[in-house]
Amino acid sequence: MSTAAAAHPPYSMPRVTLGRAGTATLLLLPIALVNAMGFIVPVLNLLRMSFYEALAGGGIRETFTLASWSGLFRDAFYVDLIVNSIVVSLSITFATLLVSYPIALYLHRSSGRWRTFLTVLVISPLLTSAVVRTYGWIALLADQGPIVGSIAALGFTPPRLMFNTTGVVIGLTEILMPYMILSLLAGFGRLDPRVEEAAMTLGARPSQTFWRVILPLTVPGIALGCLLCFVLAVSSFITPKLLGGGRVFLLATEIYDQAIVTLNWPLAATLSMLVLIIFGAALAVYARVLRVIE
Amino acid sequence: MMQHKNLSAAPSASTESNAHLRLDGLTKRYGESFAVASLDLAVPKGELVALLGPSGCGKTTTLRMVAGLITPSEGRIVVGGNDITAMPPYQRDMGLVFQSYALFPHMSVAKNVAFGLEMRKVPKTEIATRVKDALAMVRLETLAERKPRELSGGQQQRVALARALVIQPSILLLDEPLSNLDAKLRDEMRNEIRDIQQNLGITAVFVTHDQVEALSMCDKVVVMKAGKLEQIGTPVEVYEQPASPFVASFVGRTNRLEGMAKGDGTIQVGTIALKVPTRTRGPVDIMMRPHRIRLLEATRDPADDSTNQIHGTIKRVTFVGDLLQYHVDVEGSEIIVEAASDHGRGIRNVGMPVTLSWRVEDTMVFGRSA
Amino acid sequence: MEAGQTSVPMKIVVFILFLFLLAPVLLVIPISFSGEQILTFPPASWSFRWYVALTQNSAMISAFWTSLLLGTIVTVLSLLAAIPAAYVIVRMRTKGSEFLYNLFTAPLLLPTIVLGLAILIVFASAGFLGSFWGLVIGHLVITLPYALRVLATTLGNISLACEEAASTLGGRPFTVFRRVTLPMMAPGIVAATALCFLVSFDEVVITLFLTGPRLTTLPVELFHHVESRADPLVASVSVLLILLTLAVVMVVDRSVGLSKTFVK
Repeated sequence: MSTAAAAHPPYSMPRVTLGRAGTATLLLLPIALVNAMGFIVPVLNLLRMSFYEALAGGGIRETFTLASWSGLFRDAFYVDLIVNSIVVSLSITFATLLVSYPIALYLHRSSGRWRTFLTVLVISPLLTSAVVRTYGWIALLADQGPIVGSIAALGFTPPRLMFNTTGVVIGLTEILMPYMILSLLAGFGRLDPRVEEAAMTLGARPSQTFWRVILPLTVPGIALGCLLCFVLAVSSFITPKLLGGGRVFLLATEIYDQAIVTLNWPLAATLSMLVLIIFGAALAVYARVLRVIE
Repeated sequence: MMQHKNLSAAPSASTESNAHLRLDGLTKRYGESFAVASLDLAVPKGELVALLGPSGCGKTTTLRMVAGLITPSEGRIVVGGNDITAMPPYQRDMGLVFQSYALFPHMSVAKNVAFGLEMRKVPKTEIATRVKDALAMVRLETLAERKPRELSGGQQQRVALARALVIQPSILLLDEPLSNLDAKLRDEMRNEIRDIQQNLGITAVFVTHDQVEALSMCDKVVVMKAGKLEQIGTPVEVYEQPASPFVASFVGRTNRLEGMAKGDGTIQVGTIALKVPTRTRGPVDIMMRPHRIRLLEATRDPADDSTNQIHGTIKRVTFVGDLLQYHVDVEGSEIIVEAASDHGRGIRNVGMPVTLSWRVEDTMVFGRSA
Repeated sequence: MEAGQTSVPMKIVVFILFLFLLAPVLLVIPISFSGEQILTFPPASWSFRWYVALTQNSAMISAFWTSLLLGTIVTVLSLLAAIPAAYVIVRMRTKGSEFLYNLFTAPLLLPTIVLGLAILIVFASAGFLGSFWGLVIGHLVITLPYALRVLATTLGNISLACEEAASTLGGRPFTVFRRVTLPMMAPGIVAATALCFLVSFDEVVITLFLTGPRLTTLPVELFHHVESRADPLVASVSVLLILLTLAVVMVVDRSVGLSKTFVK
């Protein structure tokens, strides 16, 4: 034993080390740089931009003015835009909840390979580009498309499903479904089949079991899914842009148009901040709902 | 309290000179609380020492400080005369066997064992022979190319042992190495570890919460409680002369009565006077091991001077295979008596009046601080 | 009826809803074989003409190569930056660890339309617009948080004991990291690789703000194409994209499955 110890280097080490804090800093440097360059500085700059003055032709004067902010609430177009965005997003959230809940409940009750297979089906659209999925909806909802065609064949007046709010709502509902289903599933963890059994042995009919037992227990999942979908709907851009065909004006599409087409960056920045404020409000409502049910 | 200081000081003083591992006032603080409070310990070369105590007593923290995985708040760790307190673990030359074994899941058994040698830049051919020898020592030669997950718990345990020993560490540290094994395997591994440790003559520290492991395997037992040392002694000392009620009840089962010592070798417990082997005075705790008490037919014969005798009624009888456990009511206190069961014959019934008898020297007395 | 069972009418509803969920993705497959000049469903005739058209569309092809190169570089850089960061945050835990983790994953909380605009404004004055490395940084802003999240979770679930064992056996910190920590993180690294690549390869909104007339990625090219005209060309690209995604997922499943057998 003593020979082995002697064969070892003496109990000292060459100390060319940076020390713990130094090593940590060095290792965090790359991610910190990207975070600073691509997140902190741009977002702070965006906030400042919302108080600059927009000049004609895309110019900017670096002053401090509330012009962009007050303009939002004085111009009827923007008031409509904001209200419309919120109403449309709420409708999409509600529609998504409605079509996702049965799938989530069914997934929660299935098991084994079948469940794995269905879960893959639910997740797979998430891995497909929003452009591709929106393109699929364009094919389905077009005036010459199968849905409008079937309705016309049944003798009804064919509705317009594309280049209007209806199309945007249908497309976004489908696009947001996976998020809603996964959130609901996460919240369904508390749903123990034995609770349902208990309700039934106590004489509850299936519909009563649903309304009085299942639904209340799944409220946390519903709240989470709704928050997520609302927030994603308010800020979604691709689908409203493509399915709206430039005729549906929502916050995200307006931010893009102001930034790229009109080149009014202060206004685009202000609208962006407004989106963040709506996010904050949605989060506050969510926290409130959670507190009430706890 | 006085008693335990004497007991703990005695062995460490006598071995101070030839101590291979010495802890001087080793302390670990987390904020305001002490995980280990000023622990002194000296382990002579070649001894296997157990750190015994309930969870949270600081035994694992102590071991991890010795291994270098936790930095002490105060105190020193000295190995073979060198102060290693500030040394990083990878220079300490300790073999540590983890409770969870901590085998590298992505390496074969042989690669696991070779790891420490590779770190020491041992030549490849030598690594091969030493790994082979180490695996032979734990009887796993044939499983060298398996992955850890393909092994049973006992086999994983032996790989962990081989991996810790192949580097010929100056000290072997074992952190609850047997707690994840089933009862039968545990007995087997206990003997195996003890044999290997003695054959190599290696100094070893063994952390356990199991008194049977500590008593049966180790040269010395260090009983710890709440970060402090309660008693150091040989297994026999710790069992037969516990330094405190805590040691008495943690190492083996005990009955406990409260009484008042009169200073004349007797103690008054309720209406009963018990003879004890000390002449202390004041409020005391009295403890007796259940298997040292004999259960007799109720008798009024007076006891002789070397025996205590009290009367009670059987409240409950539990049959535990080779053992019968009687719960006897004595003036409202419950005393447990253990007797060998003779093919289930001669079991006494609930409600029977009985006499309990034990030798005066089997009565352990601890002064109670007011 | 037993509790937890689904009635037959309910099963039919669930089936229809699944159809709704998958319809747009499934639809592009038949459309890509359309023989028509414009986008119609169902197509009146079938052909491979749109796959042929794709091979002659140099804009799409060069956009594809840009996306592939971009995705690869972004993925490699994400791993190089996120693995050390995850190690520091999880293994060298200090009071600030939680804050740093939240800060570095915060970009995921922002909508990409806001993040894209914010980056556009800063990059415009820095002259990064329409440049490849500007795109790389823009993509890193969102891939790094994903990579960090996956890797930090993986590392957090690995018991410290193996690294401690390696250290008591004489392994210096970097050796322990290279020979024990890193191999044990393999499943997380594979998952992070796939996630970063797919996120970068599919990114549209931020990229839309940062691309220029000379430099465009495949999703952005697709977006502009759909915006300007509705023909089945996009369907043929989509089918190829879906196949590529499928391949990535299968590779991940294979290797994570493989590493799972490695790491228990």
